[in-house]
Amino acid sequence: MRASRAHRRNGWWAAAILAASLGGVTPLYADEAADPVPITTADLKGVSTPSSDDLAKGDPGGALTGSAADIVMADPKAGLTIADVVNQVGQNRIAINFVWTLVAGFLVMFMQAGFAMVETGLCRAKNANHTMMMNFMVYGFGMFAYWVMGFAIQQGGSAGITNLGGMNPLNGEFKLSLFGKDWGLFGTKGFFLSGSAYDVGVMVLFLFQMVFMDTATTIVTGAAAERWKFVAFAISTFFLGAITYPLFGNWAWGGGWLSQLGANFKLGHGYCDFAGSGVVHSVGGLTALAVALIIGPRIGKYNRDGSPNAIPGHDITMVLVGCFILAFGWFGFNPGSTLGASGAGSLRIGSIAVNTMLAGATGSFAAILYMWIRFGKPDASMSGNGLLAGLVAITAPSGFVNTVGAAIIGFSAGFLVCLSVEFVERVLKVDDPVGAISVHGTCGLWGVLSLGLFADGTSNYGGSWNGVDGSVTGLFYGDAGQFVAQLIGVCTLVGVIFTLSYVCNWIVDVFVGQRVSAEAELEGLDLPEMGALGYPEFQLVTPGTGHSVDVGR
Amino acid sequence: MQVLALLLLVGGWMIAVGGLVASDAVAVRLILASLGLATSLGGIATLTSAYIQNASWKKGGAWR
Repeated sequence: MRASRAHRRNGWWAAAILAASLGGVTPLYADEAADPVPITTADLKGVSTPSSDDLAKGDPGGALTGSAADIVMADPKAGLTIADVVNQVGQNRIAINFVWTLVAGFLVMFMQAGFAMVETGLCRAKNANHTMMMNFMVYGFGMFAYWVMGFAIQQGGSAGITNLGGMNPLNGEFKLSLFGKDWGLFGTKGFFLSGSAYDVGVMVLFLFQMVFMDTATTIVTGAAAERWKFVAFAISTFFLGAITYPLFGNWAWGGGWLSQLGANFKLGHGYCDFAGSGVVHSVGGLTALAVALIIGPRIGKYNRDGSPNAIPGHDITMVLVGCFILAFGWFGFNPGSTLGASGAGSLRIGSIAVNTMLAGATGSFAAILYMWIRFGKPDASMSGNGLLAGLVAITAPSGFVNTVGAAIIGFSAGFLVCLSVEFVERVLKVDDPVGAISVHGTCGLWGVLSLGLFADGTSNYGGSWNGVDGSVTGLFYGDAGQFVAQLIGVCTLVGVIFTLSYVCNWIVDVFVGQRVSAEAELEGLDLPEMGALGYPEFQLVTPGTGHSVDVGR
Repeated sequence: MQVLALLLLVGGWMIAVGGLVASDAVAVRLILASLGLATSLGGIATLTSAYIQNASWKKGGAWR
C-alpha cells in the first residue's frame, strides 16, 4: 500500500516536471520558495561536532574531520560567533587562492627545466654545458633583478587584487597627466619587498610574477645560444628582469596606461593579456630578436651567398621531453593567472585549462601537418615548436575564449610558427638555433591580437576587467574597440619594448661585448666559457684542428 | 641606418598612440594603429637590412 502511494506520488512529480518543461516554466525548488532566515549566534550553539572519543577511533571515511570545532574562535570563552564563521569563510577563500596561486607558480618555475632541455637539445653537444648553465642561471640573475626593482616597477601600483586579499601595500603608481587622462608608467612600492611590501599577499604575488618574468628571460638564451658571452648574458638578463619586462608588465598588468585604454579611451576593456602572450612571450621573443641581430649568426650558419645551412641539435629526445615539461607547466601559467580558485569568476580555471590543452594540441598538429606536406616527413623539432606556439598564442586569450576559439588560435599558431621560422632564417637571415623568435615573438603577438578577435563575451571575473564593467568581447563577437586596444598593445611591444631591448643590448655590446671569440665558438663554449665539457666522454674532436666538430663549411 | 630604424620603430608607436587623442572613432583609431604597426615593422626591416649589409658571412668566409 505504502509502495503504491509512493509510486503514485512519484508519478505526479514526474508529470509536474514534464508539464513545466514543456510549458517553459521553471520548476520552483523548495529552497527558493522560502524566505532566507538569517543565522544567529544562537543557532551556532546548537551545532553538534564530533566528540573527541569519536575522533579518537579514527576517521577512515573522512566524514568527521573538519567541522565547526575547527573554526578559529576570537574568544574561546564566548564560544563560536557569527563573526568567527564569517571571518573563517573569508580567510578560507584567500587561503584557497594563495595555495592555488603558489602551486601554479611552482609549476611555472618547473618550466625552466623544460626550457633548459629544449634549448640544450637543439644545440650542439659542444655547447651543452653553456646552454644549460644559461638556462640555470637565468633563474638567479633574473630573480635578483626582479627582487631589487623589477617587481616594484611592475606591480608597485597594483592595489586592488581582491583574490589575494587586496594588495593594499602596493599603492604607488607614477602617472603622467596628458590630454586630460592619467597615464600610469611604473610602480613605486615594493623595492626589495621591504617596508609595507613585507606582506603575505604581496609575497604570493611576487613569487607568481617572478617565475613569469623568468620565463621571458629564458626565451632569449635560446636565440643567442652557442655564441653568447656568459658575462654579457648575465648583464642582459639583469636589464630585462629589472627594466624592460617590468615596464611592459606594469602597463599591462600593474594598472598602467595600456590597461586603462578602456576606462580612458573607451577601447573595450583596455589592453587585455590574461596570462602573458604579450607581457611574457612577446617581450622575450622581441628581446631575442634584438640580441640575435646584435650578436650575429653562428659561424657556419650562412654561406657567402647568404644561403643558410642547417645546424641540427644533438638530442631530439631531450627536446621533446622538454616540450612535455613545458606543456605541463603551462597548466600553472594560464589557469594560475586567475590568481585564485575561489570567487570573482575564478572557477573558470577549468575552461582555461582545457583551452590551454586544446591550443597546444592543435598547434602541434598544424606544425606537423605543414612539415609533412612541405618536406615529406613529420619533423620532430617543429612539432615540438608547434606545441609551444599553440601554448604561447593561447596564453593571452585563454581566459576569454571558448574551446572552438582556442582550437583555431592554436592551429593557426602551429602554421604561423613554421612560416615564421623560415622567414626569420631565409629572409631576415637571423640565426635563431631554437626558433625562439618565432615561437614566442611571432606567436605571442598573434596571441595578443587573437584575444581581440575571439573573446566571446562570457568571462566576467568579478564583474569588471581593467576597471570596465561587463565581459571582455572581441571583434568577432561585436567589440571592435577591444581589437584596437590589442593592436595598440602590439605596437607598443614592437615600437617601444623591442627598441628598448635593442638599445640596452647594444650598450652591453659596446662596453662588454656580446659575442665570444671565433676560436671559442669553434671549440665549443663549454670549456672556454664554463671550464667543463657537458659530455666529456662523448666529445668529438676534429683531427688536427683541436676543434670539437667540423663547422667551418 | 640604425638610427633611422629606431626612429621608425618609435615613430610607429607614436602614430598608434596619437590615434587615441586624434579621434574618438574606432575606425580612425584602427587605421592609425595599423599604420603605426606597419611603420614600426618597417623599422625592424630597416634594422635587418643594415644587419644584412654588414653580415659576418660576407666578410671572409664564415668568420665574423
